[in-house]
Amino acid sequence: MEASYLDLLMAQQEEFAEEAAGGGGVWVVADVVNGALAPVTLEAMGLARLLADSLGAYVYAVLLGDGVAGLAQTLYQAGADGVRIADDPFLGRFALEPYLKVLGDLFAQEGPEVVIFGATPQGNELAPRLAQRMNGGLIERVTKATLDEATRTVQGAVPVYGGEYFELLACPEARPQFLTVLPGAFPLPFMDTHRRGEPVSLPVEPVAPRVRLLGTAVGFEPPPLPLRQAPVIVAVGRQAGDLELVRQVAAALGAQLAGDRGAYDAGWIGREQIVDVRGVTVAPQIYLAAGIRGDTFHNAAIEEARYIVAIHPDPEAPIFEVADLCVEAHPAQVLPELLTAIR
Amino acid sequence: MRVIAILGRVLDPSGIVVNRRAGRIFINREEYILPPADRCALEAAMRIKDATGCQVVALPRAPFPDDDVLRQALAVGADRAIYLDGHGLDRADDAFMASVLAAAIERLGGADLVLTGATTLDTGWVQLGPRLAEILNWPQILDAWQVTVRDDAAAVQAVVRSDGGYAVVEADMPALLTLVPGALRLRYPNGARLINVYRGVGPVAEALERWEVDALLSERRRPVLEHRGQEFPPERERGVRVRGTPAEMAQIVAEALRQRSGAMGRITPAAR
Repeated sequence: MEASYLDLLMAQQEEFAEEAAGGGGVWVVADVVNGALAPVTLEAMGLARLLADSLGAYVYAVLLGDGVAGLAQTLYQAGADGVRIADDPFLGRFALEPYLKVLGDLFAQEGPEVVIFGATPQGNELAPRLAQRMNGGLIERVTKATLDEATRTVQGAVPVYGGEYFELLACPEARPQFLTVLPGAFPLPFMDTHRRGEPVSLPVEPVAPRVRLLGTAVGFEPPPLPLRQAPVIVAVGRQAGDLELVRQVAAALGAQLAGDRGAYDAGWIGREQIVDVRGVTVAPQIYLAAGIRGDTFHNAAIEEARYIVAIHPDPEAPIFEVADLCVEAHPAQVLPELLTAIR
Repeated sequence: MRVIAILGRVLDPSGIVVNRRAGRIFINREEYILPPADRCALEAAMRIKDATGCQVVALPRAPFPDDDVLRQALAVGADRAIYLDGHGLDRADDAFMASVLAAAIERLGGADLVLTGATTLDTGWVQLGPRLAEILNWPQILDAWQVTVRDDAAAVQAVVRSDGGYAVVEADMPALLTLVPGALRLRYPNGARLINVYRGVGPVAEALERWEVDALLSERRRPVLEHRGQEFPPERERGVRVRGTPAEMAQIVAEALRQRSGAMGRITPAAR
């Protein structure tokens, strides 16, 4: 009697599992960089777990690449209920069409409810094409997501003008709902090392990429942006000490080098690089001032900067009145450590 | 050969002030500009025209209340510009516009290349180009720095970022490419064309056409994206002092920069 009750229960559970596996779910497409999962993938897993728990759905991760099978357990630990793997030498280097073929076939069969990508070059190529192919909605560069449980609709907050404010967007009627999430916007999930699973392999059909790599662009240098339009500026002042170090920090941040009038007088920068109301006024997203004391003319010229970091040994330096983050130290001591930290 | 440049317009960010405490956006100067990435797309189209003598057609990436951006394109040297008009277009999203643009390209008799900006200036979104490429079933090259058409006019080549450096990639035409902001510098408009296009005089003014969107689409489509309001971050907190050993201070600065880089969507080594 008890055994037949158990059989019935197990049969019901199997039926439920099959039903769940056959549709819906919150899916994450993993981004693999240099053989490892990109942090944004794990952050997306954390978001997927939260959404799935509210929706009463499962979380699935899709892993594409060559020799990526070893990463599947990390995805289980990050909260995946199922992992699909397309592990093939053909997928070793990202190309749109082979990846689209695998994902398009998979999603056509599985009918996901939500699909999350990282807002990375790979995610930016794949997400809009899949969204268009499946008549889905796509909210890009999401930094915060909430769920309307009644309509099972995800509402995403999207930064406008570099985060000055956020636009709240949703796709209430379109399914699947595609999201791309900004790297660093969501916390990393709790990694449950006891969670394990058996990933399912996906068939990989060789599809020729339509974009061919011809080789490196020998001698190509991107044109420098005018300082006024630069999104990141590293500015040097006389207290910086080592100009080469500042240059290296600027290169590591992908920033333009500038400076105050003192740096110009020292011959470190050109006239067009002087940040000053009599020179160039700037409005970058990040302004890092290394060894700049900050006179009135300089501070007025960086008023529109979205985020200012100042490194100066004098705690009374006027630059600290306008900076968001004030580092009271000599740049020559902090910059080498900063270089190591950002690399 | 026909090259399409898809151009947008955006509120000049230097003309707006966001008051986070009040939760309001104050528009001090309502001035719309051609977004930097779309300027590069227009310049790339003009350079291809210089090299091949192709026809350049400007299309809007969103419904505009005026045709100023298209007149700018004509002044710079575009051969045709199509202003799209219709009911209910104020809510048009990228999915809707991709289908409208695909229909417009079909009505034009097809194209060999479509160029547009890689990202929008305000939200940094990328989806219009790839969505359009999907409808047209064309290859796409995103985030190009340079675009050239191969001598036999059968393929397009572009310089893109690859593995920390730059690489040359190629796709058969027709193809869609997006240009990164700052890749190319848009040329100055021709003075006579500029005057004529705004005065509505001569062939350059006649090159600006007006098409009804309803006549383009065989079925009525609805936007999929719904705007549900705005949210404002907390007030900016200035003057946060950092103390500790140089290594500790550097770690705090690096973390702050990493968070900021993430919000900007920049793919720096720190952000990855």
